[in-house]
Amino acid sequence: MSTITIKNLRKTYGPYVAVDDFSVEIPQGCVFGLLGPNGAGKTTTFKCMLDLARPTAGTVLYDGVPLVPQTFERIAYVPERSVLYDWMTVEEHVEMQRRAFRGFSPKIAYDLLAQFSIEPRKKARALSKGMRTAVMVALAIGRQADTLILDEPTSGLDPINQRHVLNLIINESARGASVIFSSHQIGQVERAAERIAVIDRGRLVLEGAIDDLKADRKIVEGIFPSEQYALNGIAGDPRIGRVDRSGRIVRLLTIDGAPEFVAMLESLGATGVRVVDLNLEDIFLYAVSPADATADVVEGARP
Amino acid sequence: MPVVLTVDPRSGVPIYLQVIEQIKRSVALGVLGAGEQLPTVKQLALDLTINPNTVAKAYRELERDGVIETAPGRGSFVRTNGVAETTKAAATDVVRDVIEGAVREAKSMGLGADDIRTLASAAIDRWFREDA
Repeated sequence: MSTITIKNLRKTYGPYVAVDDFSVEIPQGCVFGLLGPNGAGKTTTFKCMLDLARPTAGTVLYDGVPLVPQTFERIAYVPERSVLYDWMTVEEHVEMQRRAFRGFSPKIAYDLLAQFSIEPRKKARALSKGMRTAVMVALAIGRQADTLILDEPTSGLDPINQRHVLNLIINESARGASVIFSSHQIGQVERAAERIAVIDRGRLVLEGAIDDLKADRKIVEGIFPSEQYALNGIAGDPRIGRVDRSGRIVRLLTIDGAPEFVAMLESLGATGVRVVDLNLEDIFLYAVSPADATADVVEGARP
Repeated sequence: MPVVLTVDPRSGVPIYLQVIEQIKRSVALGVLGAGEQLPTVKQLALDLTINPNTVAKAYRELERDGVIETAPGRGSFVRTNGVAETTKAAATDVVRDVIEGAVREAKSMGLGADDIRTLASAAIDRWFREDA
């Protein structure tokens, strides 16, 4: 069982910086969600964690030790694109996995394949995109690994099988494995993960326990009597992520201390002051966009 | 185990707080009786498709609040000592949050303390009329 430490990871391809000074720690038994827009560096981070891409700088440690072949035995990886061989059957893949990895349990893999309604004698070429994902997941879970690195493990799956994969992730975490996974479906990360990191243009822009982020990050909204009002330094407070003004309405994104800002706005003469909860999607969008992606939430935004 | 919980992960309310609120509500309503066993952390996590550590956190807080007790190796149970107190405390916790929210909203919309008291009294009179 392992704690994963990613320290100051950097990966460049020529002049292109894919990952830049990225550091997170994933405690043992944690389900960790990695979120980011397309091309943000999620897959590159995963590849660096597995030494499939050599980091330009920085380190990835498993229980404090850099990746060695023995560690690799304990890591299961589901890449973003299925790496099944078209001409081989599903059961041949299971057999190949059994030969490659000592701890691999064909029984677990076959049970999961049955749950996904996948016929083991089918050739990989005959599988849909979602079914290929399901086979990859079944092979990975069969490893009974200490660490699972899952790059979009629900892509192409129908909602029932997506839910099934999430429960497999939960089950792996309940037996003590660490799971790091990415998904564009934030609702899935919101369910299964305990902690998240948001990566944007290669950089870490947000990290924390989802429940803590939700408890701390709020929109505090108030209405002033006229469009001329002063915020008396609120905008410069380090606990304020951004300030959006729209006519007489002001909306503050608080990183912490929402109740205090309620009192402050009221003492400045605002009425109708309320606290709006943010879900993970809102929090994600605020983290990756200066003003644009959240325009519907914060109309007339002028940070 | 007749624990029927539903959580909305897409809500801005932390999931562990939703679990706590619903278990307190179940205890207050007697859906979960004294001494009744709760699902294991893993089972509830799988039933709701939520993170096991999130469930564990909710159970820890429920234990701290005196709603449940955990016997190592046996599981978590609704407290048996002082059932009436536990039930009432659970109900009080749930209702306090609701009233807090309502008063906060009333105040933000410009109502004064007396206006809010008048509204509260009227509501109490209406709902407790038959009991008198």
